[in-house]
Amino acid sequence: MNQPAFPRADGHIIADDGDQLHFCSTCAFSQACLSEGMDKRALNDLHVLVEHVGPLHAGDHVFREGDRFEAIAAVRAGTVKTYVIDPDGREHVLGFHLPGEVIGLSAIDGEHYPCNAVALDTVMLCRFSFPKMAVLAAKLPGLQKHLFRLLSRDIGRAALLAGDWSADRRMAAFLIAFSQRLAARGFSPNRFQLTMARTDIANYLRLAPETVSRVLRRFQQDGFLVVDRREVELVGREHLEELAGPVLRQ
Amino acid sequence: MTHASVIDPELLRRYDTPGPRYTSYPTAPQFSSAFGETQLREAAVNSNGDPIPRRLSIYVHVPFCLSPCFYCGCNRIITRDTSRSESYLARLYREIDLTAALFDRDREVIQLHFGGGTPNFLTPAQLREVVDCLRRQFHFSESDGRDISIELDPRFISPADIAELAAIGFNRASLGVQDFDPAVQEAVNRIQSVEQTLAVIDACRSNGFRSVNVDLIYGLPKQNPAGFAKTLDTVIEARPDRIAVYSYAHLPELFKAQRQIEASDLPSPEAKLALLQLAIQKLSDAGYEYIGMDHFALPDDDLAQAQARGGLHRNFMGYTTHSDSDLIGLGVSAISHIGDSFSQNPRDLPSWQIAIDEGRLPVFRGMHLSEDDQLRADLIQQLMCQGEVPIAALERRYDIRFNDYFADSIERLKPLESDGLVRIEPGRITVTSQGRLLLRNIAMCFDRYLENPAATIAPRFSRAI
Repeated sequence: MNQPAFPRADGHIIADDGDQLHFCSTCAFSQACLSEGMDKRALNDLHVLVEHVGPLHAGDHVFREGDRFEAIAAVRAGTVKTYVIDPDGREHVLGFHLPGEVIGLSAIDGEHYPCNAVALDTVMLCRFSFPKMAVLAAKLPGLQKHLFRLLSRDIGRAALLAGDWSADRRMAAFLIAFSQRLAARGFSPNRFQLTMARTDIANYLRLAPETVSRVLRRFQQDGFLVVDRREVELVGREHLEELAGPVLRQ
Repeated sequence: MTHASVIDPELLRRYDTPGPRYTSYPTAPQFSSAFGETQLREAAVNSNGDPIPRRLSIYVHVPFCLSPCFYCGCNRIITRDTSRSESYLARLYREIDLTAALFDRDREVIQLHFGGGTPNFLTPAQLREVVDCLRRQFHFSESDGRDISIELDPRFISPADIAELAAIGFNRASLGVQDFDPAVQEAVNRIQSVEQTLAVIDACRSNGFRSVNVDLIYGLPKQNPAGFAKTLDTVIEARPDRIAVYSYAHLPELFKAQRQIEASDLPSPEAKLALLQLAIQKLSDAGYEYIGMDHFALPDDDLAQAQARGGLHRNFMGYTTHSDSDLIGLGVSAISHIGDSFSQNPRDLPSWQIAIDEGRLPVFRGMHLSEDDQLRADLIQQLMCQGEVPIAALERRYDIRFNDYFADSIERLKPLESDGLVRIEPGRITVTSQGRLLLRNIAMCFDRYLENPAATIAPRFSRAI
């Protein structure tokens, strides 16, 4: 078992929780800060608060739309869904955030969070106070660059699905992107659980829930993947990559 | 598993201890009243959230019987007042409304089963009403594999009724026979002629039923090899697709009806064993394959075919080919298996009625399966259905090292290995032909809830043989 199937975490994924002086091994910012010569003590000296939050349980909110924007958070374990509710009361899923990814970036622009963030399973977070972080970023070009990179990745991901793609391509792109993001964190790229409900996937991909199942069932018949409850195994990955290519521009 | 072989009587006697039948793991005594309506709703929502939600199986319990069979350990109500079904059905329809709302409409129903009690306490017209109600509320699969099955008491159904059932969509029937020996029938208060039984089997066939099952019981009062041999010959000649041979468990302190049975009329353990040997011998000679536990099937039957494919499963309705489905239990005492949960309706009629009249889902106990429960359930399922423990698959699926995780179980299996019931090889544990009749003893080695030996002594489980 060298690569655990998400969300099953093993030692090498949540190995080091860090302490007063050391960053967590999963920290989304440690590299950027360290490369600027800022260790955790230096951050503390600048009163940039870094705190661990959690565990949150399925259904617990990290923040709600309109809450005062004070911090961005990096996911250490679990999955966080961001969404908004439109004036008709309909939910729109904005994205899913996996370990090593940052939520709250879309609030950088204003005083309040523009969306809701909810835990889909057991979630651990690391909160960074903002705007202290912004002040710091202004001083540290490396950190700023890192923030911009995270920000553009967030925007880019949302834009991917805006094209006029078929249900098959959307679904394949979703799976391949999900797999790539997990692989970047050391999880198995070809075996993982879809921690979000079918309706969430459907909403995010702008498909009907029945269509999500129908496409997956067909992928399964065609030998691209095997679905067992929430677990997905990509057994014919190259077919999915081919379908996903134009959507992901890969 | 195909053939059941010669059994060593001494061995069988030694393993004739009380134990669960593993129609579920964990077994019903583990269910808790902390699991209620809220938890059931949550389980249903979660099950809808799977990327490809499971299909649905529905079980409908009809608790009424016209006359008491003394051997019975089922949840049933004896009455001659057929008007009682009207008020029962009114509640059942409410329960169907409440329950159907929990499940996404695109989840197909692949199996519907009526059990009891005596489902044919209901008239064909009433059964049609129930099926129609379910068809309105659920999406029934149109595929060939979709089954609508019913347990029938041949004493109270006519060939014309069977034709009506077929028209409704019923395609499998299970007939209670037990024993044709008149002395036995009298001792258990169930007088049923060969003629009426065969007439029902014929009617099922001529109306295109996909399979007919016959239930027999060994260990009944006044039962003897000569009489049971005749019963077996008669049944085999009718060639039902499946035959179940159940062991009679005499637990009069648990089941009131059984207090009518004279303990002195019961066959001795040796005689009981001889009856089982006889059944195995005759059924094997007649070409029936041994599926596991108490079940035999003809080689071309779906169960035997599914076992050969590795697609056989076991649930509260016994062995089934419908593996990947959530089970919805409706009616008094019915058990549901939704996602990672088990839940059960109240076992007494008044509690069930009150819950429904108050607009509540009538669940009174249940449990959420932990990952350990799921792993052991999966293992026991494979053991009961395929006769082996798929070690590599379990290690992968549950991210465990089998020999570490199950070190205690393997230790408990050692004596069974010495007795020739299982073979333990690197990467493989298989049930031997001797072991096939003692599946529950083998499964018990993996049951975490039996680790306290005191629990095994409790009389709530019947004996293995």
